[in-house]
Amino acid sequence: MKELLMRPQYLMNRSGQKIAIRAKDRGHTLMLFFAGVIILSILSFCCLGVNWGRLASRSPQILEVFWKLGHISLDQADLVFVSLFETISIAVLSLLYSLLLGIVFGMFAARNVFGIPALSVFVQSFFSFLRAVPTPIWVLLMLVCIGIGPEAGVAGLCVHTTAFFTKSFAQSFEEIPDETLEAIEATGAGKVIVFMNAVLPAAFSQIVAWCGMRLEVNFSECAILGMVGAGGIGFVIANSIQGYDFGTAGLAILLVFLTAFLIERMFIAVKRIFK
Amino acid sequence: MKTLLEFRSVNKTYQNGNHALRGVSFKVKEGEFVSIIGPSGSGKSTVLRSINRLQGISSGSITFDGEEISKLRGRALRALRRRIGMIFQNYNLVLPLSVIQNALHGRLGSMGPIKGILGLYSEDDKRKALAILDELGIGDFALTRASDLSGGQKQRVGIARALMQDPKLLLCDEPIASLDPQSARTIMDLLRDQAASRGIACIVNLHQLDIARAYSDRIIGLRRGVVVFDGAPTDLDDDVLRRIYGDGFSQDNVQGGQADAHADLACA
Repeated sequence: MKELLMRPQYLMNRSGQKIAIRAKDRGHTLMLFFAGVIILSILSFCCLGVNWGRLASRSPQILEVFWKLGHISLDQADLVFVSLFETISIAVLSLLYSLLLGIVFGMFAARNVFGIPALSVFVQSFFSFLRAVPTPIWVLLMLVCIGIGPEAGVAGLCVHTTAFFTKSFAQSFEEIPDETLEAIEATGAGKVIVFMNAVLPAAFSQIVAWCGMRLEVNFSECAILGMVGAGGIGFVIANSIQGYDFGTAGLAILLVFLTAFLIERMFIAVKRIFK
Repeated sequence: MKTLLEFRSVNKTYQNGNHALRGVSFKVKEGEFVSIIGPSGSGKSTVLRSINRLQGISSGSITFDGEEISKLRGRALRALRRRIGMIFQNYNLVLPLSVIQNALHGRLGSMGPIKGILGLYSEDDKRKALAILDELGIGDFALTRASDLSGGQKQRVGIARALMQDPKLLLCDEPIASLDPQSARTIMDLLRDQAASRGIACIVNLHQLDIARAYSDRIIGLRRGVVVFDGAPTDLDDDVLRRIYGDGFSQDNVQGGQADAHADLACA
């Protein structure tokens, strides 16, 4: 009886009714969220004016295209393989450059390395801006600057990847306890030395994980970039589809799929080693 | 013996208004083993951290080896820190690195910038690190990752890192607070023996009274940032302990004692 009396008031009032189990303010926010989602869906539907009828009538054609893509042709296999390697090289090169740049900028962006909040905020916001602009736009800009070819692809990918690495590396660096940095600083070592000998090794396994994730992203981005003229397998896919050469396009798409899959499996294995 | 370290009416007020040290004055001679005791929040850590300037002080002066150090900056501050080793309650090792790499971190302050950044230690340093690890009984673990060690072993690596600096002074901030009584004794033995054989002065923050008594040349008692006792372990009687830990404290009746002292006496 005594325990019953000690229950919070709001539970007492509802004796006989269902007992509330959600945290008090939670219900409200959820309702607002769902209402927002519904309103946005209706608005987008009206704005786009999607013609669902046409989509339905054309669906046999979708099957037909996939049927044609399935008939892989090896006539242009050499071209497809060369461009696949080009794509992989662009992805790997941009990853390597961005890795180095990301470590340097991540060092400035992490709040615990230099202990200068203004510096971190400045670097973080600068790269947030770079990150907000999507990769294909950076590549288009680079195409204008450098000209058509894989160099533009590497440069464009680097901008976005570096921005991504700066943020994620800084996050990993900040996870290292301040006491560890303090301990090495107490031996009389400077900030950069502390960073290289304590922060970087401690964050190494996370950096490997970020790289694996980003190589996957870069590879698939690369496939898209070919279509805007930055070379690689995307260019082959776009060209052969426009020329109704579905067999070649099918081979290229299959290879893209296989490579992406392999990269993923490879990094799962690498991560397991580093854990 | 020459005076190595001297505090003269040191005050420290934190930004939140917490008055951590009030007119603290004491001296430490070369090679002396000094314990600082006092309840949590009495300013023990602040004293240690103001010596190697992990924290600044608000007023007063601190001299180390004849040099005023409370205002040092940049290169001069790093040169000071090189001569002062520090050992922490939570060891503060870089866990993914090997034991010997962690020990070698003690050399980073004394290397050139390029070698320091790349972590290119000389073979002499490596030999010295191995010798120290052997002396501390963890030579066999030199290539083990620090994360795979037990607490007592980690603290030995912490000591090795500090000894690699060839310091004149060792600051030990609750070095055994996270250890079981057995390992705590081992660590204290190692600290005392190494400090004695190398002529290093030690300032150790402790919660365990019996340990402080057994190992120290001198004990300093702090209460609310004020030095209320500074003398030989034998002078540490009930009266003094009440001044340090408050009226509820008595050695015969640990139950009624101040929370910290009570907990630590029980486990020690």
